[in-house]
Parts: sequence; C-alpha cells; structure tokens
Amino acid sequence: MYDSGQEPVRDNENRLSRRRVLGSGALLGAATAVGTTVGVGSGHGDPAGPEVLGAGGVDITLRVNGRDRALRVEPRVTLLDALRERLDLTGTKKGCDQGACGACTVLVDGERVNACLTLAIMVRDKEITTIEGLARGDRLSPVQEAFLDRDAFQCGYCTPGQIVSATALIAEGHTRSAEEIREWMSGNICRCAAYPNIVAAIEDVAR
Amino acid sequence: MSRPTKAPDKAPDRITTPITGGVGESPLRPDGTLKVKGEFAYSSDLWMDDMLWGATLRSPHPYARIVSIDLSGAWQTPGVHTVMTYDDVPGEKLFGLEHTDQPVMAHEVVRYQGEAVAIVAADHPETARRAVDKIVVEYEVLEPLTDAEEAVFATDAPTLHPGGNLVRHLPIRRGDQHATADVVVRGEYEVGMQDQAFLGPESGLAVPAEDGGVDLYIATQWLHVDQKQVAKCLGLPNDKVRLMLAGVGGAFGAREDLSMQVHASMLALRTGRPVKIVYSREESFFGHVHRHPAKLYYEHGATREGRLVYVKARMFLDGGAYASSTGAVVANAATLGVGPYEAPNVTIDCWGAYTNNPPCGAMRGFGAVQAAFAYESQMDRLAAELGLDPVEVRVRNAMAEGTTMPTGQVVDSAAPVAEMLRRVEAMPLPPAAPTDSYDLRELPGGVSNTTHGEGVVRGIGYGIGIKNVCFSEGFDDFSTARVRLEVIAGEPTAMVHTAAAEVGQGLVTVQAQIARTELGVERVTIHPADTQVGSGGSTSASRQTYMTGGAVKAACEKVRGLLLDIARERLHVEGQLHLDGGKIVSDRHGVLADLAEVLGDEVIDETVEWRHRPTEALDPTTGQGFAHVQYAFAVHRAVVDVDVDLGLVRVVALDCVQDVGKAINPDAVVGQIHGGSAQGLGLAVMEEIQVRDGKIRNPSFTDYLIPTILDMPPMKVDVLELADPHAPYGLRGVGEPPTISSTPAIVAAIRAATGLAIPRCPVRPEDITGTA
Amino acid sequence: MKPFAYTRAHTVWDAVAAVSAEPGARYLAGGTEMVNLVREGQESPDRLVDIGDLPLTEVRVHGRGVRIGALAKRVHEHPEVRRRLPVLAEAGLSAASPQVRNVATPGGNLLQRTRCHYFRDVRFPCNRREPGTGCAALRGVNRNNAIFGGSEHCVAVHPSDIAVALTALDAVVHTHGPAGERVIPVEELYRLPGDEPNRETVLDHGELIVAIDVPPTPFAARSHYLKLRDRASFAFALVSVAVALDVRAGVTHDVRIALGGVAPRPWRARAAEDALRGRRFDDDARAAAGEAATTGAKPLPHNEFKVELVRRAVVRALSEVEGR
Repeated sequence: MYDSGQEPVRDNENRLSRRRVLGSGALLGAATAVGTTVGVGSGHGDPAGPEVLGAGGVDITLRVNGRDRALRVEPRVTLLDALRERLDLTGTKKGCDQGACGACTVLVDGERVNACLTLAIMVRDKEITTIEGLARGDRLSPVQEAFLDRDAFQCGYCTPGQIVSATALIAEGHTRSAEEIREWMSGNICRCAAYPNIVAAIEDVAR
Repeated sequence: MSRPTKAPDKAPDRITTPITGGVGESPLRPDGTLKVKGEFAYSSDLWMDDMLWGATLRSPHPYARIVSIDLSGAWQTPGVHTVMTYDDVPGEKLFGLEHTDQPVMAHEVVRYQGEAVAIVAADHPETARRAVDKIVVEYEVLEPLTDAEEAVFATDAPTLHPGGNLVRHLPIRRGDQHATADVVVRGEYEVGMQDQAFLGPESGLAVPAEDGGVDLYIATQWLHVDQKQVAKCLGLPNDKVRLMLAGVGGAFGAREDLSMQVHASMLALRTGRPVKIVYSREESFFGHVHRHPAKLYYEHGATREGRLVYVKARMFLDGGAYASSTGAVVANAATLGVGPYEAPNVTIDCWGAYTNNPPCGAMRGFGAVQAAFAYESQMDRLAAELGLDPVEVRVRNAMAEGTTMPTGQVVDSAAPVAEMLRRVEAMPLPPAAPTDSYDLRELPGGVSNTTHGEGVVRGIGYGIGIKNVCFSEGFDDFSTARVRLEVIAGEPTAMVHTAAAEVGQGLVTVQAQIARTELGVERVTIHPADTQVGSGGSTSASRQTYMTGGAVKAACEKVRGLLLDIARERLHVEGQLHLDGGKIVSDRHGVLADLAEVLGDEVIDETVEWRHRPTEALDPTTGQGFAHVQYAFAVHRAVVDVDVDLGLVRVVALDCVQDVGKAINPDAVVGQIHGGSAQGLGLAVMEEIQVRDGKIRNPSFTDYLIPTILDMPPMKVDVLELADPHAPYGLRGVGEPPTISSTPAIVAAIRAATGLAIPRCPVRPEDITGTA
Repeated sequence: MKPFAYTRAHTVWDAVAAVSAEPGARYLAGGTEMVNLVREGQESPDRLVDIGDLPLTEVRVHGRGVRIGALAKRVHEHPEVRRRLPVLAEAGLSAASPQVRNVATPGGNLLQRTRCHYFRDVRFPCNRREPGTGCAALRGVNRNNAIFGGSEHCVAVHPSDIAVALTALDAVVHTHGPAGERVIPVEELYRLPGDEPNRETVLDHGELIVAIDVPPTPFAARSHYLKLRDRASFAFALVSVAVALDVRAGVTHDVRIALGGVAPRPWRARAAEDALRGRRFDDDARAAAGEAATTGAKPLPHNEFKVELVRRAVVRALSEVEGR
C-alpha cells in the first residue's frame, strides 16, 4: 500500500531503540553520505556547498526541552517518531499522522507545529519544546494547571497537543475573546469534546 | 501465577494521587496530573526493547473469493520473524461479540474492504508494513451487496453468511394493529455511517509468558470479553490470557469488538517475543466497527389535539460484513423507536442485515440515535401538521413514570420528560444574530468571510432522546469490585481494584469518590484494571458508574461491615456504628476511636460481584418484555444560524437538560453532556463515512471531518437529579442520552430556518441550497 | 515512508543544481505537504533538497508592488499584505490550521497536490499519480471534484486558497531553473489535465519558485476571499471565490474574479468579469456575473451543486466587497 517496495535501509543502527543515546560528541554529517555533493567550487554557490545526508542513518543532535539529545535517524524519520520512538518522549501523540488533528503539536523555536509533518533532520538547529518540557519538575505550567482545574480533557489523548498549542496561542496573543481562542485552537481536535472547558482553561490563563 | 519476566516500559501503574471529594463532589481527576504532563501512558506508548512490530494485510475488495495467498515475499524480507494466516489460528477460527461469525483472518472469502487476511511480525514497523505489501493474494472479485434492505428482501441477493443475510429482525406489537387516526404524518429518513473517531488509534502489546500464555496490554472497553474471545481463538484457558488495561485514547463504542488482540497474541506466541501493533489512522477506519447507517420509514397517527394514536415504523440497519453487536442495536432501535412518548398502538419492525459494507456495531447512542433522528423528525412534522408548537406536541405526548412502553414494560422510576422540555424551552435564548459590527466567527462560515449577515436565517429546534442504561434483554450483567482496607504509614488506605475500563469518562475518579464516601477514609488508590479480578463488564451502555460504581459501593459496604464488627469486638460496644473522617463513630457515643487504631495490622480485602435487577428477554414475535434496566433522557434546544444562500450552518447554542438521577461527579456529568452533544452535532452537520460500492472513500481526518472547537457552541446545561430507587445512589447513566437528542435538535433548527424537509443527516451545504 | 537522501541547500543556485541533477530529487520547504506525500506514497523521491535556509523569506513593498519571498511565513499576517491585498490575507488565513500555517510556505502552497480521494489513496487508479491507470473519480464519489477544466482523464481540483487570490491579483511567480530565470503568471503556472494529467504545472524539473510578485493594481485594495467548506475551519474549499474590484462612480472599471475548489487550477471567471466591466455595479450586474461565472461548467454526477454554489458565491463575494 505504500510504494515501490524498496527495502528500508537496514543496518544495525536502524533498529529502533529508545535506549540508544549516543554520546553528545557524535559528529554531524560523519555518517554515510549518499549521492554526489553538488555546488562545490561553483562561482554561484555557497563555498561550503549544500549539506548532503542519508539516505542511511545520520547522526544528529536535537535540542529538546533544553537538552541536547544525540541520535541516529534516517532522513525520512519524522520529528514525531524521533521523539516517541527514539527519545522516549511519548507525551507527544500520534492521532492522524497527517497534520489533521493536532495531537502531535510541539513548539519549534517557540512556534507551534505538527511534529508529524516535520522531519527530525529539518529541525536540528532549532529549540524544540514538547509537553514534557512545560512543567518545572512537579510545578505544572499555568496552562497545565488550568487544564487540570477546568477538567479540560477526558481521555487525555489530545491533551498534550492542546496544552502545547494553547501555550503558543497565549504567547501569540490570540486570546482577546472566546471566539478568537476557538478560531486559533481549531487545529486541535478533541473527540471527547472538552471544548467548552478548554476555552475556559485558556481564558483563565490569559486573564 | 506465572508472570512475564518483565513488564513493558510504561505499563499501567496504580493511581495514587489523592482526590479530595466524595459522592456528589467534583474532585480533580487522580490521573489528571499525568494527563496534563504527557506522562499518562496510552497503549501506543508501551515499549519493550526486544519487541517486534506487527502489521496486517487487509483486503482491498469488499467481496471476493481468495484464490491463493503467496506469503513468500514476506517471508523473504529481512527482519521478518513470522507471517501468519487463517491456517495458523491455533484455536477457534471465528470470534464475535454476539455471534461468532467473524474469522480471525479471512478464510476463502473476504466480506469487506479492510478485512484482515494475513499478519506479519518484524523487527521494525516499516519492515512489517513492507513485508505485508509483498504478500500476493489472488482474488476472484465478486459483486458486493451494499444495501441492507436488499440484503434482507431481494430474492436474488447473494447469501453472505451460512445463516442468510439477516442478523436480527425484531417486531414490536402493542395495542390495536389496525388503529386509525385523524391526522397522519409519514416520513422516510436516513442516517449516514458515523465513525467514533477516537483520537488514539487501536494499539496493544502482547507479551509471551513463561507458562505458555500471553500477557496482553490493550486499550479496550471490556477486558473480560476480550479475554474470553482471545483465549478461545488461541486455544488457551482463560487464565493463561491475562489482560491489562493500557491507557485508552477514547472509545465511544469502537473498542467493544476485537481489533488486533488475537493477531498480536498469535504473533507473540509464535515468535516468543513481545509484539506491538499500532494502527495508523487510516487503518483504524478499517479496523473497527462504525455506527450503523439506517433507513427508517415512519408513520405517526394522532388525534386533532395532537395525542399519538399509533406509531408504525420499519427500520433497516446496515450491519455490514459481520454481526458485531447488530442484534442489540436492533433491539434498541426497535424498543425505543417511539421515543419518550406515550403511544397506545405500536407496530415496529427493525431489521439488522449483513452486507459487504464495513461492519457496524457499537457507537455511543447505540441504535437509539438512528431511531431518534426519525421519531423526532416525525414529531416536528406532526406539530407542523397540527399547527402546534414543537414543544407543545412533545409535552402532550410525553411519557412519565408509570407509562407503559411499547414493550409492555411499565416505567417504574422518574421520567420527567415534560418538565425537561419546559425547562429547556425556558432557558434564555442567545442574542439575535448581530447585523452590523461583530465578530465574523459568530456567523455561518466563520472565518471564511462568507457573510456579514446577508442570507442568514435563525432557526430553533428541539430534540429529546431516550436511552436504555446497562445491558438488556435478560443479559446477566454484573460488575466485580475488590476493595482492600489497610493502614499504610499510619493512615487508613483503601485500594479499589476492578476490571472496568476508564476511557476518559472519569471512572477512576468515581471509584475513589465512592470509596471515600463509603469508608470515610481520605486515601484511596486505584489498582490498574486487569483480568486478575472479576469482570467489570463493558464500558458501554452508559453503565459503568451504575454497575462498577454499584459494585465498588457494595464491596465498600462489605468491608465496612467487617471493620465495624472488628470495632465492636475490640471496643466492646454494641449498636449502630459508622465511619466518618477516618474515625469509628457511634450514633450514641460519638467518636469512639481512630479507624487506623482499630484496624491495626489487619487487612480487610473483599471482592463483590454486583448485579442490577434482572431483566427478561423480549418475545420474538411481539417484542414484549421487561427488557431494560433503566431509561435515561436528555433534551436539547438547538439554535442555528443558516446562511440559506450558501448552505452553511452555524450552531449558535446547544442547550441541554438531562436527568441523571444523582450526579456522582457533577463536573464529569457536564463533560459527558458536552462530549455527547458534540458528537451529535457532528452527525447532524458533517460526519459521514462515505462508502461507495462497499469501499470507504474518506478514511482520514482530512476527509472525515469531525467538529473542531470552532464548531462547538457554548452550552447551557441543566442537570436534574430525580433519584431512581433501583440504582446505586439513585443515579442514572449519563454518557449516551445527549448524543441522541442533539442531532435531531440541530436538524430541526435547520429545518426551521430553511423550511426544507431535510430527511437525511448529516446535512451538507447542498442539502440546504437545494442543489444536491 | 521510502528512504531518501537529504540535502540542505544554502543558496538558490545550490538548490536548483541539486534537484536538477537527479530526476528523483524534490524540493522540501515547510514539509506540510511533501512529508505526507512521501509517507502516503504519492511521491517517492530519492532525495529531498531542504530549501528552508534559503534567503527567500522577505515580504517587501516596492514601486512595482508587493514581492513575497517563496518561503515567507504567515504572509497573511503581514500588515502591508493585509492593507494592500486583503484577498490574499483572507485566503491565507482561511487555510489549514495555525500549526500548519506556521511552517507552510507560499511556494509550497502553490505547488500542493490535489485532495482528490483517488489521487490520495494509492490503492486506486489515478492518471495524475500513475499515468495510464485511469481516473477512478469519474465513476466514483466525485462530490469534491472539478466542474471546470477537467478531462476524461482527470477531474481533480487544485486545493490552494492563495493561488485563487493571487490569480485575482494578476500575480506572477519568479522562478530559477536549470535553464535560467523566468516569470510566469500564477494562472498559467498550472496546466489543465487534458491527456497528460501527471504534468500539473509548466515548471521544469528543478525549476524553483523563488518569489511571488503582486503588481500594483487599482483593484487589489478592494478585494475579498470567500470560502465555502464543510466545517467552520480547517477544511479545504468546496467552492471559493476571490474578487478584486475597481468601481468608479458606481461603474465597474475593472474586476478580477477567480474561483477555487472547482477546477484543476485557480479558475479565472472571465465571463463574469465581462458581465461587470463597464456596467453599473448593482444587484443586476452582480446577478449577471454570478450567472456568467458558471459558463462552461461540466458537473459530474455528485457535484452539480457546485454550479449553483459558484453562482451564489460570486454574487455574495461581490456584495461583500461592495461595502469596502
């Protein structure tokens, strides 16, 4: 159902393992570079040429919740899968894997994005914040606190995405009315429909 | 008992976060902190380092004969550990909730698009999926049967199952079958196929155990019915198939049937390795049953004063390829087919049929949804025919305590239908649609800039729904609760252990509240739900607070009795004692001692199996019988603004009155009303699985649209508490009724705004512009 | 998802060279479309060339209008765009969700692929995806498909909102390709399917959209985007209308009307424009324009309603913009 049937690249590094945490000294770009390097020596191009990586495993470092995390991924690995399957950050949820539900919302350089539509390799030099990065130890963030107090969830599966999205929404200033909150939260589906309580929770924090 | 050598990472754990309230209060959820921190572990979060990943080959055809299956391509894929088909099923080859008619994997024939044909385990999910793609199945494609009415009545229809195409026909006959009336209204209605669309797709992890059994971590609605079916298919005794409830990302009925439970277990037992299966969103659309699409033919006869003389209905529910719970859905649609109204003469027939469409079964509202759309549409037609107000015609026919239902069952607890209608009618209306400067988001089309008020017409509509609570028709429905009381670190602590599935409704909170109230203790912990304790029954039919809440209450009462016996003995007192705030209290002498002191090192650990009062089967020819445990009601008033030129609808208000008998947790009750109302809203104006020639055309959240927060209007909710003397604390099931009444209320409001008949839901723009 | 190599380009020249050198190479900008296409199998590139670092992010107002970098983020929030090009701001804001809008790019938006079920579901035949396999939409559920510009080989619609707005603004795209630079009107960027539905645009392999130029026109400031969909937000258009209007002394001096959700490309409703131009801008003229907008419509079995929706939506969009 997927495509031409080409094998996934198989090497020992490719096995999924949450335990595999490489030393932070892992070098970027030291992995197998496939394909030719273009642009080098050209009068028009960047003297260093473009950076060419993959298709096999590539050692990268992601800065997640203030920590540098080294890992080896193929270019095709999404940020969502890298977080969940490789970095053991399962708070970010996979609801549709298509950018249509918002359960995988994370912050990249402070802006909310769908981790399922982002390749991990695209955000190597960015600051990534997931639901796990909002609380300070046992102290919940104001949005987390408000969601808890307002009972703004039921099954809770969409909740990490809702909370990360709401955190960004408040920073964006899209809280001038309940209607505005609703418009700007419409990228996060809640099937339990805790929607009225989500609006109330966000209003509590924005107030 | 043998346990696996180790449990997965993020295996379900005991909930120890304290709550603060008892019955009737709204404490914070004890699992809430985990949920807002992203630490609550759902089934898809489970992990074992040596685990394999399963994937499923599914039929591309809705109906075809399997000529051959060539597995060699999958076997030859590096990283693949095993490939299995029907032939490898070790035990019973068929499973099913009511009828064992569904093969674990297809055998000789596939009956719906997406039916499982083969399964693979590999060391990487992508490898497993690619291996699946390399399996070559030769099919002889057959013409699918896709119409339920045809399936039952057409003489030339193919026979899909050995017993024919009929899953169940239930007739209801009451009163004069030839009654005539002054005023007659007829209608034909259709309800589209709705998806539960929970946010967390099916997933689970099967771990082979040392005793040759399997430990299955799974998101489900009923651990024990899964256990029974899985054990049979694996050819194992029940005690070798142990289920643990993993975090459930919503359910709404879609987790009542098995999905990958047997598959993951087969792969794990064959490979000797843990096997995890996680469905993609697309696969989820093929991996669970949906709400039955329905065709309903109704005729209502009434007096000129608007009193119902008779109701006649013929209903067809498309069960799809396998029965699932179609039989029970048929019973609900038929027995509740008149709605919450008095009608002396009733002739109802409901058929549930096999077709080659996707299998249909449980979804919140369960048969009552389809019937309510039709009978409420009929009540509006009747009101229009008589020139009566829609509320007035409903009030004139409202059932009440003492009413005889179409099944002959006399309603023996509160049924405040008329009062609920009057209350919702009396709620303040939202302000009229603004006409100059205002927020565009408050108009149909929302941020799409479709109007500044031109073409917008407001409509108001009412809908009322009735639902049976708990399992009906003589089913031996029970729940088990184990309560353990001991002193831990000087503090009396109760632990509640049931197998009932928390799916987001707040059951763990309710269990803790009940234990606190009944035992007078502060500290309550909740043991993870598993099959080490007796069945908690299904998290469905709005039954868990009633049933498992009832079981926890009963177990607490038993523990309390034993504790007070100990207290009498140790304190040498007689007479009535009770527990309050961790103290033993005598009616006559006040506080006698600390509970902790009296209990000392003793542990009281009691398990109770608790049943609701028995019901009885329905007579198969007349549909008569005391079949339902309890009735529950909700009424909605919907206010819509319709852009009649462009066919856009905005639900402006969706106010609700519901009788819950006793609100064990008022916040959770309101949450259920919000959720149910929104799912009814979805069915009213956007949600439909589009099936053509047996094939699903929109298996994604991009194409199957469910309401966003912008589609959800503010809701005023009025909760009545008229105790049901037969139920624990007098409570009434809550989850389903609001799903039932919101759809007809919204569609009625659209009709009021447009003057159109609108016999089908969901209502699309073209149904309003009249250009469909 | 099929494996692919990844290149991050730092200059336009490098990017163009990298993609041009390899038939299986594709550009990757925000990723909101390409990641899905690769995951679901409609695209199976050997290499993705990430252009996220290219200096194409600016929105600049100059004497020749507004230049929008192909990678500019949230163009709809730019104050000059909102002031000068309301139709574009409205179209951009109506698209997708806040999360998607945070990373989506104008260039990527213009080049997104159709939402036709049968293109997206790789189990079905689709001439656009796999030439010669047939069009499943013609005999399938075609409610969302084209009423204009389709052929017996393909009836897909282009899903972009901003493409419709840009068409109504006479916008052009600037490209850099292996053969040099060129300028293409947005409307002409797209090919009608004819008998080659797989060739969706006029771009050569490796040709990169680097900027969008919106010229100064007397009609841009008085413009409006109207979008009809099945849900209040976060859904593709069933029918959309971009109108831009220059009315002088009650008479339509010039006008642009473009339709979305109805054709394989943004559909310029020239007959509707002609019905307005030079006439008093009144209800009769607007009704005539609505009628004219449906000229040449060839509805499919499930989308006849779109013809009437187009008529009404054009009238409504013109009435809405009148008040501005």
